[in-house]
Amino acid sequence: MSEPAVLIRNVVKRYAGHVAVRDLSLTVPTGTVYGLLGPNGAGKTTTIRMILDIILPDEGTITLLGKPNTDAATLDRLGYLPEERGLYKKMVVRDVLRFLGSLKGLSGAGLDRRIDEWLDRLTLRSEAKDWGKAKVDELSRGMQQKVQFIGTLLHDPEVVILDEPFSGLDPINAQALKDTVVDLKRRGRTVLFSTHLMDNAERLCDAVCIIAKGEKVLDGRVADVKAAHASRTVALALDGDTDGVAREVLADRTLVAEVDDQNTFFEVRLAPGAGAQELLARLVQRGAPLRRFELVQPSLHQIFLDKVGAKGVEAGMSGHG
Amino acid sequence: MGKLYAVIRREYWERVKSPWFLAATLLGPLGFAAITILPAVLALRQGTSNKAKSVIVLDATGVGVGDRLRTALAGGLRSTDTSRATVRVMAPADLAAAETTATREVVAGTFAGYLVLDTAVVAGGPVRYAGRNAANSQDMDLVEGAVRQGLLSHRLVAAGLDPLKVQQLSNIRTPFTSEKLDERGRGGSGVGSVVVGYLIAFLLYMMIALYGQTLMRGVLDEKMTRVAEVIIASVKPDTLLAGKVIGVGGVGVTQQLVWIALGWAIVSFRGPILGAFGLPDVPVSLPSVSAGALATYLALYILGFTFYASLFAATGAMVSNQEDIQQASLPVTALLVASIVFMQPILLQPDSTLSRVMTMLPFSAPVLMPLRMATVQVPAWEIAATLVGMALACAVAIWVAARIYRVGLLMYGKRPSFGEVARWVRLAG
Repeated sequence: MSEPAVLIRNVVKRYAGHVAVRDLSLTVPTGTVYGLLGPNGAGKTTTIRMILDIILPDEGTITLLGKPNTDAATLDRLGYLPEERGLYKKMVVRDVLRFLGSLKGLSGAGLDRRIDEWLDRLTLRSEAKDWGKAKVDELSRGMQQKVQFIGTLLHDPEVVILDEPFSGLDPINAQALKDTVVDLKRRGRTVLFSTHLMDNAERLCDAVCIIAKGEKVLDGRVADVKAAHASRTVALALDGDTDGVAREVLADRTLVAEVDDQNTFFEVRLAPGAGAQELLARLVQRGAPLRRFELVQPSLHQIFLDKVGAKGVEAGMSGHG
Repeated sequence: MGKLYAVIRREYWERVKSPWFLAATLLGPLGFAAITILPAVLALRQGTSNKAKSVIVLDATGVGVGDRLRTALAGGLRSTDTSRATVRVMAPADLAAAETTATREVVAGTFAGYLVLDTAVVAGGPVRYAGRNAANSQDMDLVEGAVRQGLLSHRLVAAGLDPLKVQQLSNIRTPFTSEKLDERGRGGSGVGSVVVGYLIAFLLYMMIALYGQTLMRGVLDEKMTRVAEVIIASVKPDTLLAGKVIGVGGVGVTQQLVWIALGWAIVSFRGPILGAFGLPDVPVSLPSVSAGALATYLALYILGFTFYASLFAATGAMVSNQEDIQQASLPVTALLVASIVFMQPILLQPDSTLSRVMTMLPFSAPVLMPLRMATVQVPAWEIAATLVGMALACAVAIWVAARIYRVGLLMYGKRPSFGEVARWVRLAG
């Protein structure tokens, strides 16, 4: 197994008055798509900036591809897209890209060739119009976002770090970004991105780390996380419950913790220690007219809610996106 | 090293290739030349607008003093333009009536004024002048000189001399030059070297203020457009700061070199240039600037710019919007402007204690030292001490600025207080 792309050990970052990141450790294996999840203010951006050596941790160590993250040559193998994005407005697009490329050690004809390839790939250059020759502020917002992607990926980084990459993207660019992430993964690159949109993360990530208030809540492969948080929720549908036998069973608090009764549809949360099999057996035994009995796969959003509780969810937390 | 170069390259080229730079660099000296040449051209071409010469001469002398005066007023016999003064020859008895008419004409604005020459004038009696420009001492000097010259030539001719000879002899033009001497000997023209000292001092002041603030706005711009974070993910903030100072400073050096070259060209080829405007060549004696002095000016500019540019850059990183930047940069600007305040006292007493201290303090030296060097012989040790002091001040300024810059670049929101900035400096690793 190769060195992990990112290895964070016991990192702490304090600011005047509060702790932004508290004893955080995580491992991003090489070649995976890794999600850093959490509500706004959880410490995601601080963590990412520490990985990139933009800010220094007060305690702990961070290694990238087996080297300390202060190593300049290693940092050149990273590509970074910050949450707040922008470009030099008055500069010609191609010059901006040349500049960003040269900051990563690219130069000359090789750099120009890569710029051309990317402009073509993201349809910023065609027979009719070469946006590479335009000034940045002549471009639409969507096109500027594309230029920003190019700047991040121009030097074909081994590790790509994206901070809230989906915020502010139009649907077309959001899709293009997802495609790009999948493509990077296929080519063996590592992608680490932060998001507060759990749905995106659930579909894209191989592994995740959920943090809240600067602390790690859980981490691991998405499949493992889901397995470890086996379903405690059952979706139940009945063909009428005229004699009330089903409701009788559901009222048993040793079996069921909570019921969302929607007349013919029930969302049932199992009581601690009770199993879904037991509930099913009891319902069948009492002759309840079952139409559907399904163990609901927990979403990352639900897992997060279960672990942190609604109190941990501050403004900006969302299960949809 | 490659990254530093990349930053320098961008800072330099994006500015040098902008049309504004081109305009300022090329038009700057032309504008300067224009304001020196144009008035001369206008004065010669539109003579009627020259008040001193558009006068009525009421000549009751009976011996033609008025005509001689007109010739003198126009600038001698060789001058072809004699239309500026209108001579009205008359009998002494008509003088009062003519004066009333002339008063009306001056009030109406047709003429600037009138001269009254009665019979007593030839014998040394008083000459009266009445006009709108009577309070203008330069105009009055001109008129008075012309009256003297007119009377003198009349008397010489009356004494039997050849009128043409008289005109040649009495038409005296003396170009006056002064020369500065110091213990090394001739130092070029005295007035010239003070002018050059002023020019260099102002030039250095302007360049430091202009490009220091350019740098400051550049830093703020990177912050406001949020490019800063992408950049410092690839380049250490210290490298970025260094690249910016070198790049923007280089733009200033480039501009100065172009100006010097253009200035030299204008002075060298002033003959043809002035000729194109129909003007006679004027002798310009350039003060000799030694290679040592030139190297000192360059060192003063480089150190002075580095000092102020670092502080301006830190200021740019401190704030998050255009509204705050003027106020935030006030301390730095005040430091720079303070130098200008001391220009006059230093020029008057270049060897006073005040002058010696002000020219050696790191924050005022880049502006004031060239001025003092142009007026007196500054001891070599003082120059050396100044440069060393400035280098030390630069090191401190860079150290402080780099720390503020590193922290400030990612700070958004309200302008930090002085205490907060002090904490940034203390805590920034």
